[in-house]
Amino acid sequence: MQLSDVWMLFVALALTMYLVLDGYDLGIGVLTLLDRDPHRRREMHELVAWTWDGNESWLVLLALTLWGGMPLVTGIALPALYLPLILMLFALIARGVALELLEHHHGWQPVWGTLFGVGSLVAGFCQGAAFGGLVAGFNVRGDTFTGGPFTFLHHGYAVLTGLTAVALYVLAGSAFLYLKTGGDTQRRAARTGRVAVATLTAGMLASWLLASPAGPLTLHPTAAVRLEIWIVGAVVLAGGAAFALRSFGSDGRSDRGPAVATLAVYGGGLLIAGGLLYPTLVPPGITVHAAASPHSSLLFLMVGVGAAIPIILTYQAYGYWVFRGKLTRRQEATTA
Amino acid sequence: MSHDTLLDLSRWQWALTAAFHITFPAVTVGTSAFLVVCYAMYMRTDDEVWLRMFRFWRRIFGIGFALGVVSGIVLTFEFGLNWGRFAHDVGPNLGVIIAMEVVTAFFLEAGFLGLLVYGEGRIGKRMMLFATCMVTLGTTLSVTWILVANSWMQTPDGYTEVNGQFQPTNWLHVIFNPSFGIRFVHMLVGALIAAAWFIAGVSAWYLLKRRHLAIARRGVSVTLGVLALLVPVQMLIGDHVAGDYVFKYKPAQGLAMEGNWNSGNTGENFLVIPNQGAAKNDWQLTVPWLGSAISKDWSGRTATPGLKQVPEPLRPAMLPTFYGFRLMWWSSVVMLAVAMIGIALRLRGRLYNARWFHKLVVVMVPSGIVATWAGWVLAETGRQPWLVYGKLLTADAVSPLNAWSVLTTLIAFVLIYLALLGTYVFYVARVVREGPDVEPLAEPPAPARRAAPLPNPALAS
Repeated sequence: MQLSDVWMLFVALALTMYLVLDGYDLGIGVLTLLDRDPHRRREMHELVAWTWDGNESWLVLLALTLWGGMPLVTGIALPALYLPLILMLFALIARGVALELLEHHHGWQPVWGTLFGVGSLVAGFCQGAAFGGLVAGFNVRGDTFTGGPFTFLHHGYAVLTGLTAVALYVLAGSAFLYLKTGGDTQRRAARTGRVAVATLTAGMLASWLLASPAGPLTLHPTAAVRLEIWIVGAVVLAGGAAFALRSFGSDGRSDRGPAVATLAVYGGGLLIAGGLLYPTLVPPGITVHAAASPHSSLLFLMVGVGAAIPIILTYQAYGYWVFRGKLTRRQEATTA
Repeated sequence: MSHDTLLDLSRWQWALTAAFHITFPAVTVGTSAFLVVCYAMYMRTDDEVWLRMFRFWRRIFGIGFALGVVSGIVLTFEFGLNWGRFAHDVGPNLGVIIAMEVVTAFFLEAGFLGLLVYGEGRIGKRMMLFATCMVTLGTTLSVTWILVANSWMQTPDGYTEVNGQFQPTNWLHVIFNPSFGIRFVHMLVGALIAAAWFIAGVSAWYLLKRRHLAIARRGVSVTLGVLALLVPVQMLIGDHVAGDYVFKYKPAQGLAMEGNWNSGNTGENFLVIPNQGAAKNDWQLTVPWLGSAISKDWSGRTATPGLKQVPEPLRPAMLPTFYGFRLMWWSSVVMLAVAMIGIALRLRGRLYNARWFHKLVVVMVPSGIVATWAGWVLAETGRQPWLVYGKLLTADAVSPLNAWSVLTTLIAFVLIYLALLGTYVFYVARVVREGPDVEPLAEPPAPARRAAPLPNPALAS
């Protein structure tokens, strides 16, 4: 265990926090496209409005944990994933601005609403596609990416992982809606959540089976296939998926069930991906240890970022606590 | 397309996205401080006017802040996307610095912005003031870390080079690099000034239209007072930026911004049309003697050195450097004049009646933003051809992308950012036209805004 391995725990934390938090608000964005009812759409927008930029901060932190701690990864992978990541940025801009305008600008609501939904969908898809492009590996000479602008597609593998990511986010969005709303919105979330679980399971299985044939992915010699991690990951994932299917049907009796199940799905998926890759960061050849910043940088990062993260978690939790409870129940209570 | 084309396209994309981004922090950093003042005064005096001002400026702040966030994320990624070699080489220094910016500033702003904008009625007044202070602290810390990173690129220090990578050896020297202190103060004061003109101009517009007079008077009074103090201070700071850092550490930039190629000119250039290839000015407007006088030689014999002293490949482009400096300097002169007229009118008790002056202040709305742009054009083009001054050439740092990819995304950025800018201007104009009075004055009880009938969106902010 070296300092760079410890730093990877921070990278993993930022990745997990991002997927869990922005996952649900991107998912809710996709779901607004499927719902024509302005009242329910409005509910969904409100749920996302006060948290999206806090959630998105974890994406920026993820990028920075890699840049500061693993600069070689940033130097190779970002140019290699240029098109999907730029498209993701456009989509994130569109949805962020559209949402602010929905909240503050009393006109053109359908336009901003659609932009918010499409932006969420494209951002989620591009993130999945970038992940697929990375996992399938790149041609690298020295420390420079040598492929073309579309190398990341890997004969369509990136499209598969992109769609899988959308399914994952729709699941998270449905689970969050199930937790925070009631009535029709909650019932619809149960339906979309179940469809998402089924799609996601198929997508993840296909992504896992095709990962190696899709590109030059060869497991790093030190990554002796960690069967036990895969098994634990698969069990957690399958358990989460099964529990999600069941709890979405509990008809409002256990509103937290789907959210817990979604966390299990995330946990299992990340364990499998980590078990497959670690210590490789950019397949086939770039490992954590080769990519790491020097000792002085990692130490500074660990002290600085390590001290800040508990504070960040505290005030983010406080924010969620201020806006706790159900959106609709409050509403019903006041109108009654 | 060639490597030069790729380099040019990548530089244009960076310049465009960075200029767009800086527009919003230039206004929001100061506006958040103004919000603190408004809310603190409201809590102290219980005067409704302060609360109205707080709510009104919060609306304008919110959208500008959102645009600053999304365009800032773009820059974070572009470091790696377009400048992969740079990302690899400076990651151990600047990646760490920007990571500190994210955890101390970015999260802080985002964490408390939700409370600031949507929290009224759910959190107490003290918590609201605290949240507003935290957002302001976040914006200030953001300026701090970004200026650490950029100043390190101007005056790198505290590192050792290992296989072309800059690895930190002394973090104190990395952070407090030679140009950081003065440039940080310069940028922070610049941001306060930019916001102050913005607020002053909108308030003066209300005076012109004879609307919302209580709010307008207070807005004009506070901001013009701040400006009368800060503009002269900023001009002094600017002098130190030039003397203590540009001429000392980046002499080529100092030569380029004076607009001379040869070293015999004792006058001061007001306008030049430089010909970079031929290393001469095709045309210039020069006031004799003044250049020598600025160098404190009143006899008129001291000449300003010229850019030919620098070997040709290492010369920054004179055009953007010269005019970046001139635009920043002359806008500060105009700002000083308007702020001082404001003082004179105030002393004669005519600040709220002089309509010609209100028109003047309305015109000044973008002045701080323009000066900020000009200053950054000067700093960034003046550093060329280097990315890390004296150490890493911009041409060596660019990602080996397909030039067509960059051209495509550059065009897309232009279109998207134009649309965003249009939306922003349209939105701010609309909020200003609607004015502060559309807000219900009593603090809404927590659930009431949620219960308002749709589709009329019930908005607290």
